[in-house]
Amino acid sequence: MSLGDELRYLRAFHGGGNLMEIEDEIGLDPGALRHMEQRYRRVGEDDEVLAKIAAYYDVPFEKLQFHRERYRKALSAALQQALESGAIARFELRTGETLTGRVRWWDLGAFGLEPEDGGPLTVVQRHAVLDWPLADEQ
Amino acid sequence: MSDDLRTLRKQKRLSVNQLASKSGISIARLIQYEKGEQEIPHADLRRLARALYVDEWDINARSTPPPAPPAREERPARPPQPSRPKKERPPKEKKPPPKSSPARESQIAHLLTLAARFDIDRAALETEIGKSLDELTQKEARHWNGRFMRRIAEEQPPKRAIDRRRAYLPEGVDGFELAYLQEQQEAGVPLHFTLFDGQTFEGAVVGFSPYQITIREPGGDETTLNKLAIAYYRRPGDGTGGEA
Repeated sequence: MSLGDELRYLRAFHGGGNLMEIEDEIGLDPGALRHMEQRYRRVGEDDEVLAKIAAYYDVPFEKLQFHRERYRKALSAALQQALESGAIARFELRTGETLTGRVRWWDLGAFGLEPEDGGPLTVVQRHAVLDWPLADEQ
Repeated sequence: MSDDLRTLRKQKRLSVNQLASKSGISIARLIQYEKGEQEIPHADLRRLARALYVDEWDINARSTPPPAPPAREERPARPPQPSRPKKERPPKEKKPPPKSSPARESQIAHLLTLAARFDIDRAALETEIGKSLDELTQKEARHWNGRFMRRIAEEQPPKRAIDRRRAYLPEGVDGFELAYLQEQQEAGVPLHFTLFDGQTFEGAVVGFSPYQITIREPGGDETTLNKLAIAYYRRPGDGTGGEA
């Protein structure tokens, strides 16, 4: 799950506040949090800012660092690689489940995963993916 | 006493265009009414009266044609002008071709740098050119610089294609998922949905958008699921590929 998705998730579970109000409360530049929630590229390079956000949402700083590495474009790259290679891919979901299978298609919202045993295609929402093997671990 | 449409329109300081948009009658027809080419039917008379804030009987049903505009006076033809005598120009003197100025210092320095890449020093370069570098003209320096540049370009190995590792997105934003949902909706088969909080739903897709999916559950109830709340979905079957 990307840092943007995680931040949206945290905001929703903390009362779904207004982005501008939260930025003001944390003491961030206007638009800083919105930028981090929406971008597809890697965001949140400033550790100081990330630490402030972690403190506001009362979550460990390392947790946000973990999500920073799993930006949306990185998942796109992993899905495309899995699609091209046809290899079995593994995805850990936020529900605690792990799904394995071959990626049959992907777009910006979801991806189709064909189970190893040939069962029906599973459509996985991208924002539900917590972790996947990163490029340097594959 | 009634007035012509044109007179009333002018009194109200409206253009034909404005009256047309106020009354809903076309400009062409209004012009016909104003010229008296056509009698204004009762329905249009009522519309015009409303647009002009007058009573219907204040407007003449058939206007008197406006007087024809005065014909233009023709200008008298211009008398022919006597042609001016052409001045005879003295024949141009042919200029001698410009002498090429001596090469700039920067050109010589650049030439020496390029030659150095092939281990050619100043003396060897002057031998190759056939004259001293101090005697080189700008044109010659340009020629030799270009010659060395081409030689460098030929000897350089071709650039390797950069492996960008950039994901290629062949379809629209949600193209594949929407196509899948369309297929399932047309087939009328139920799908099994698992939400983030562990809740599950099962039903046939009756509608969807990029943000929501509406299903009809076996009991006949319709439920709309927000896609942000969905973790995954599939046709009910044995193969799950998942482990808790």
